[in-house]
Amino acid sequence: MRVAVTVAAALLLAQAAGAQEVQKSAQADPRGEVVISNVAGEVQVTGWDRNEVHVSADLSDDNQRLEFRSSGARTTIEVVLPRGHSYQGSTDLVVQIPRNSSLSMTTVSADQTVKDVRGTQRLQAVSGTIQTELWNEDLELKNVSGEINVRGHNGKGALRATSVSGGLRLEDVGSEMELNTVTGDMTVRVAELSKARIRTTNGNVELRASKVTDDLRIDAEGINGDLRFRFPRTLDAEFDISTFNGDIDNCFGPKPHKTSEYGPGNALRFKEGNGDGRVRIKALNGTVEICNR
Amino acid sequence: MSEITKGGRDPLDEALASLSADVRPERDLWPEIHAEIAKTPILAPASRVQTTWFRLAATVLLVVATSFTTYYITRHSVQPQTAQNVEPLPAPVTPVQPASFSFGPERLGAGYMNARAELDKRFQERLATLPAADRAKVEKNLADIRHAADEISATLAQHPSDPLLQDLLMSTYQSELQLLANVSDLPSAGSMRTDL
Repeated sequence: MRVAVTVAAALLLAQAAGAQEVQKSAQADPRGEVVISNVAGEVQVTGWDRNEVHVSADLSDDNQRLEFRSSGARTTIEVVLPRGHSYQGSTDLVVQIPRNSSLSMTTVSADQTVKDVRGTQRLQAVSGTIQTELWNEDLELKNVSGEINVRGHNGKGALRATSVSGGLRLEDVGSEMELNTVTGDMTVRVAELSKARIRTTNGNVELRASKVTDDLRIDAEGINGDLRFRFPRTLDAEFDISTFNGDIDNCFGPKPHKTSEYGPGNALRFKEGNGDGRVRIKALNGTVEICNR
Repeated sequence: MSEITKGGRDPLDEALASLSADVRPERDLWPEIHAEIAKTPILAPASRVQTTWFRLAATVLLVVATSFTTYYITRHSVQPQTAQNVEPLPAPVTPVQPASFSFGPERLGAGYMNARAELDKRFQERLATLPAADRAKVEKNLADIRHAADEISATLAQHPSDPLLQDLLMSTYQSELQLLANVSDLPSAGSMRTDL
């Protein structure tokens, strides 16, 4: 009884505040494109096996409108705000799209959660977390002031992620990646690594690869922060590592040498196995660690 | 078809053999050649550092051009939506100033500096529309990048031929441009539709 009263009171309060729930759906191309934008709130997108886009929007007040358009293979979902108002509310979107759709999403002050969407994804956010999965198509992520979390399925999709003031956490992503952070740590775990280009200004990098391809290419640069790489026990690669002000720890054996008698810089070049791959790591201030265990 | 002489040799071969192997010029040509050489200014080969800077400049200009192309394409695609009702927030209290590098980007040429300034202007416009907390974070990040560039360029001034510092400095310039382009390109509350 008490619960029912509480729920009824909450509904009345929501109505009084002008909150409204909107549901819309439309037929969609199984490999079409879905475009979503939202300011403040949360967006959850899930891939399903229907050729249909469905959205459930929880609009916080009457001053917002959900625009839902479908044209050809493109479906657009947009939260439209009132003209000339300083927006204070938030809108939650729960969206289902055909599993193989490509997804393009932009949000401000809204968290993005994407599950089981297997087409290409282009996700951009300001002030919000991006959480998604990587399958066999490419994934491009840009985030300012927020974390990026990607759980992969060891697929073929390449990953390109840029983060300003936020960390990157990537697990079981594909073998090709380009990662940039200005301020934020990177933690990357991959089953197989082929090509990686990594740049960080302020942040630590930890990359662990269970296996690497014969044509391995790693190009990593860090300004302030430690760069740590864990490789499989055996690999064929030529290493070229240098630091201006930092140590080099190497589990493979060869020791680094000082680049100057009085300076703190170190350099290390050696070949492991046939030396077919190339690993190039440069750091200004920070330790570089490469290990095979 | 050529005839064979009694000696068993081709007449053409014999004619060739009769020519003098040493052709003497009518006069001594060397003084005139020497004078011509002396008139031509000798260009010193570009130093390794200079060559590297040209190469790096080309790289950065390519990044700038790419960033601009992306920016304008994106800008035009959202222009009809963003042109209306953008309520700019007050300009940031501490405007982001171009860094003054002691071994700095001015070395990359006027074209680069102009492009960078233009990109910075767009960045400032978009930055002003971001929520205050995010704006502060972005400014802090840009300041960090520019501080890093300052630090590297100051060190590079002491070790001008250090390839590690050259690479890291160029990488930092690229990070700066990338940040400017990314923020200019990113959505903001002002870029969302407000035409209800």
